[in-house]
Amino acid sequence: MVEFSWVSRSPLEHALVTGTDGARGIEAGISLTEIRNFDLIQVMARRGQAAELGQAAKARFGVAVPDAPKAVRTSDATLIWSGPDQFFVLSKGGKHTMQTLEPALSGSLSDQSHARVLVSISGAKARTMLAKLSSIDLHPDAFPVGAAAATSMDHTSVTLWRGGDRTDGQAVFNVLMFATFAESLWHTMLDSGAEYGVDINHTERLA
Amino acid sequence: MRIACSFCGERELGEFTYLGDAKPVRPEAGASEDEVFDYVYLRDNVAGATSEYWYHGGGCRAWLKVTRNTLTHEISSIEPAAGAGAAKVGA
Ligand SMILES: [Zn+2]
Repeated sequence: MVEFSWVSRSPLEHALVTGTDGARGIEAGISLTEIRNFDLIQVMARRGQAAELGQAAKARFGVAVPDAPKAVRTSDATLIWSGPDQFFVLSKGGKHTMQTLEPALSGSLSDQSHARVLVSISGAKARTMLAKLSSIDLHPDAFPVGAAAATSMDHTSVTLWRGGDRTDGQAVFNVLMFATFAESLWHTMLDSGAEYGVDINHTERLA
Repeated sequence: MRIACSFCGERELGEFTYLGDAKPVRPEAGASEDEVFDYVYLRDNVAGATSEYWYHGGGCRAWLKVTRNTLTHEISSIEPAAGAGAAKVGA
């Protein structure tokens, strides 16, 4: 039998080139950071059992799961609404995986850790750039910290939410996209941000 | 046209797919051939308020039942279709 050695790789491994892109000689207006190696579990209530799942999830995470388009931070995870009676559990370092969540939650769970790419977008021109891609009103009055949306960008389904602000006060928009669409959407994002200058990075750290 | 999804709020038309008339009800088993023919093929071509199914595939992936005026595109009511959202449906 052939022994395989599996290496986890980002779907953006080739497309993402660390550095700057687009306009030069100005301070980059956009910061694009891919967050790698996260744990992402999709949890869906079974028919007629949303209340039971809500109770079990509250016992597990210590907070009520979002029942509207919102993202809720816990001490070691983010719970993101992804549709009626369903949510994502996003975390790092194996704290919330299929093995640990399946016995604790009475719903249908599926591991999406390697099925999604997570990109965080911030910077002085982030909202201007996102206006080219998204029809969601991202003004702070309409889309405050913790707001989320199941929506589309460039005809591709994404999960979008506003994370905690950067230390300099700039808003941070997180986009969770299908792995197979990520390279296409990444290039679209670079094109949209080019005129403002883009700082490109990747990190293992979940903000 | 914008549709206010019962779960997501108002969204652009591009996030939705039109399924069709929400009025026909599947006949009971043993219904006559005429009743089945009517259910499968015959549709009213309404100038005015119609009830129709829309799918929020570019968003929360829920099915919606929308009452829309075909003359003005004005939407008078939107509700989750039966089965949209596990909590909304009995066992
Ligand atoms: Zn929706």
